[in-house]
Amino acid sequence: MTATDAIRAFHDELTAIRRDIHAHPELGLEEVRTSDLVAAKLAEWGIEVHRNIGKTGVVGVLRKGNGQASIGLRADMDALPILEATGLEYSSTHTGVMHACGHDGHTTMLLGAAKYLAETGNFNGTVNFIFQPAEEGIGGARAMLDDGLFERFPCDSVFGMHNRPGLEVGKFSITPGAAMAGGAFFDITVNGRGAHGARPEESVDPVLAAAAIATGMQSIVARNIKPTDTAVVSITCLNAGAAYNVIPDTAVLRGTARAFKRETMQVIENTMKRLSTSIAAGFGATADVDFRFLFAPLVNDMEKSMEFADAAAALVGEGNVNRHGNAVMGSEDFSFMLEQCPGAYILVGNGDSAPVHNALYNFNDDAIPHGAGAYATLVEMKLPKGTL
Amino acid sequence: MTAADIIRGFHDELTAIRRDIHAHPELGFEEFRTSEIVAGKLAEWGIEVHRNVGGTGVVGVLRKGNGQRAIGLRADMDALPIHEANGLPHASTKPGIMHACGHDGHTTMLLGAAKYLATSGDFNGTVNFIFQPAEEGLGGAKAMLADGLMERFPMDNVFGIHTSPGLPLGQFSIRPGAMMAGGGFFDITITGTGSHGAHPEDSADPVLAAATIAQALQSIVSRNVKPTDTAVVSLTWIEAGAAYNVIPGTAVLRGTVRAYKSEVIDLVEARMKRLAEQIAASFGATAAVDFRYLFAPLVNDPDEARIFADAAASLVGEANVNRNSPAIMASEDFSFMMEARPGARINIGNGVDSVPVHNAMFDFNDEALPDGAGVLATLVEMKLLTGDV
Repeated sequence: MTATDAIRAFHDELTAIRRDIHAHPELGLEEVRTSDLVAAKLAEWGIEVHRNIGKTGVVGVLRKGNGQASIGLRADMDALPILEATGLEYSSTHTGVMHACGHDGHTTMLLGAAKYLAETGNFNGTVNFIFQPAEEGIGGARAMLDDGLFERFPCDSVFGMHNRPGLEVGKFSITPGAAMAGGAFFDITVNGRGAHGARPEESVDPVLAAAAIATGMQSIVARNIKPTDTAVVSITCLNAGAAYNVIPDTAVLRGTARAFKRETMQVIENTMKRLSTSIAAGFGATADVDFRFLFAPLVNDMEKSMEFADAAAALVGEGNVNRHGNAVMGSEDFSFMLEQCPGAYILVGNGDSAPVHNALYNFNDDAIPHGAGAYATLVEMKLPKGTL
Repeated sequence: MTAADIIRGFHDELTAIRRDIHAHPELGFEEFRTSEIVAGKLAEWGIEVHRNVGGTGVVGVLRKGNGQRAIGLRADMDALPIHEANGLPHASTKPGIMHACGHDGHTTMLLGAAKYLATSGDFNGTVNFIFQPAEEGLGGAKAMLADGLMERFPMDNVFGIHTSPGLPLGQFSIRPGAMMAGGGFFDITITGTGSHGAHPEDSADPVLAAATIAQALQSIVSRNVKPTDTAVVSLTWIEAGAAYNVIPGTAVLRGTVRAYKSEVIDLVEARMKRLAEQIAASFGATAAVDFRYLFAPLVNDPDEARIFADAAASLVGEANVNRNSPAIMASEDFSFMMEARPGARINIGNGVDSVPVHNAMFDFNDEALPDGAGVLATLVEMKLLTGDV
C-alpha cells in the first residue's frame, strides 16, 4: 500500500479542510485563521508547533528515530485580491479575496503528508513542515528566512509543490535546473519641468524623455543580455500629464523584468539605471529608478529533482511523471528558500481547470492524495529507517 | 471730448454690469443669463436684437445714416471651469465656474461701446455687435459662422479686444500679421494586444509603439515644417496600463499643436497621422488619430491693425500703444471670424499687477472699461465716417 493509498483513507477529512480554507481566504501576512487551523491540526497529530515565523508563518517539527538527517517541506497559505466567480457552495466568504492560486490545496496537501507521517510514516530523522505566508509578491519566503527559518529548523534539503491547471490529475512534472524566472517590478520617475503646451522652450519635457527611455529599454534584452540567456523587460504602465495643453513636470514608467539567473537580473537593473539616468540627462531631466527584486529565479537542484520525480513515479508510475518540464517565465518566492538550501519544486496535475489567478479557478480535491502522497513518499525515501 | 470720456459718464453702470456677470459665470453654450442681460441692455438702448445665433450667441444691429458700409465688433461671453479663489465681494456664486479670462469685461466693454454708439455715436453705416458664446475650446465662433453670421449680418470688417494682464492700464498692444497661433488638440489611440508582462511574445506591445510614436512626433517640427515657419507639437499626456505585470491592450497619447498658418497645421496633422499609423503598423498594432482643429491662427490684417492702433492712440496717446507687440503661441477662436472677414484684435492692459488669465485669482480690472469701450466706439467713428456712403 502506497502513502497515497493510506492518505485516501482520510481524503474526506482533507477535502473538508481544503474547502474550509477556500471559504475563508486571507491575504498575505494576514493568514490568522488559516495559520490557527494549521497549528491546531499539527498539534492534534502530535507535531511540535512553532508560530509566528515570518509573522503568520507556521513550522511543524516531526522527529522519528535518532537519525540526524532532516528535510523541509513547504506550502504557501495566502490568497489573492480577486473577487471569486465560481459560484461554488464553499466559495469565498470574504468579498474580493479568493484562493485563486490553489494555496488552499497546497496547505492541505502538506497537512495530509504531516498527518500520514505523524501517524503511520516510516522514517528516521526530522521533517520540518513549513507553512509560508504571503507568497504573492509580499515577501513571505524572505520574511521566514529573515526570522531564522533554516538556523532554527535546519534542513538538508527543502521541497515545494504547486498545482498545475491543464496537467491531468495524477500526473507530475518537474524541471531540473532553472524552472521559473526571477522577477522584479520597477518604477522610473522622470523629472523634468512643466510648461504650457504652447511654450515648449520653457519646459524640460519629461514625456519625450520617458518615450526615449521606453524605447531605449528594449535594447537591454537585444544588446546587453547574452543571446543564450533568457530575459524579459516589459514596460507595462506609462503615465504622464492630465491636460492637452500642459506639459507635465514628471512622467512615470513602470513594469516588470524577468530572468532565470540572478546575474542576468543584475545586468538588467544596472543597465536600466544607466539608460534611464543618462537618457533623462540628455534631455536635461533626471530619472529615479526604484528596482525591486521580488522573486529570485527558481532553480531546482538536479539530484533533488530526480529524487522528487522518483517519489512521484513510485506512486503514479514513470509514465505519469515528466522529468523534463519546460521552464516558465512566471515567478515563485520559494526560490529564496532554494537559494539557501538545495531542493526542488514539483508540479501536480490539477486537471482541466481554469488558469490560476482567474476568478473561476478552483483547486481540484482529487489531487490531494497524490500531492500529500508524493511529499510523504519523498520523506520515506530520503530519510530511510536504519540510517543515521 | 473723446468717446472714452463720454463713456466715463456711465462707468458706474458698466462696472455694475461687469460685476453682475462676474458673479454669475456660465460655461460655453450655457450663457443663458448672460445673453439675457446682453439682449435686455441692447434693446433698452434701441438696438435691434437677434438671439440664438450659434446657440446662446446674440447679435445687435445698429444703423445710422444711409451708408452701406458695415463693421462687426465681437466680444466673448463664456466662463471657465475654475474654482474662484480671489475672495472678491463679486466673486462667482457658482462653485467651480469662474470668469478667469475676462470675458465678463469683454462683454461689458462691447455693451459700453453699444450704449455710446446708440446714444451719442457719430457714424454712417451699420455696426453689428457680436456677443459670442463658448470661446474656450468649445467652438463658439465656428457655431456663429455656421449659423450664417456673415450672411445674415453682412460686414466688411470684424474687430475684437482682449484683456492683457501685465500690460499697464491705459495701454494697448497689437501687431500686424500673425498675432496668435492656431491650435488643435489630438488623441492618438494605439491598439495592440495585451498579455502577461512575462510573456511579451503573446503581445503586440502598445506601450513600445506609443513611445516610438512619441519620439517620432518631434521630427515633424525639425524635419517637415519649413525652418522659417513656426510650429509646436507637444505630447502632454500619456496613458497606458494599470499593473506592473500586465502589458495593456491600448496606449493613448494626447497633446496640442500650434502654428501661425493653417497650412502648417494641416501639414502637422497629415504627418502625425502618417507617422502614428505607420509606426503602429510596424509593431503589429494600429493607431487611430483624432485631430481636432480648434483655433485658426489669428492673423491681423495690416491695414485694419493700423486703424485699430490709430483709434487707441487717439484715446491714450501714441506712447501708450505698442503697434508691434510680439506674436504669442496661445490661441483664440475669434480667428475663424477673421478668416471670414479682414479685421484685427487688440490687447488692452489689465494692469501690471494682474495675475494671469486662467488663474483662480484673476479679475478683470474695471478701470479698463472706458478705454476698452472707447476704442471700439472710436474705431467705428473712424471707419464709418459721417458723410461717407
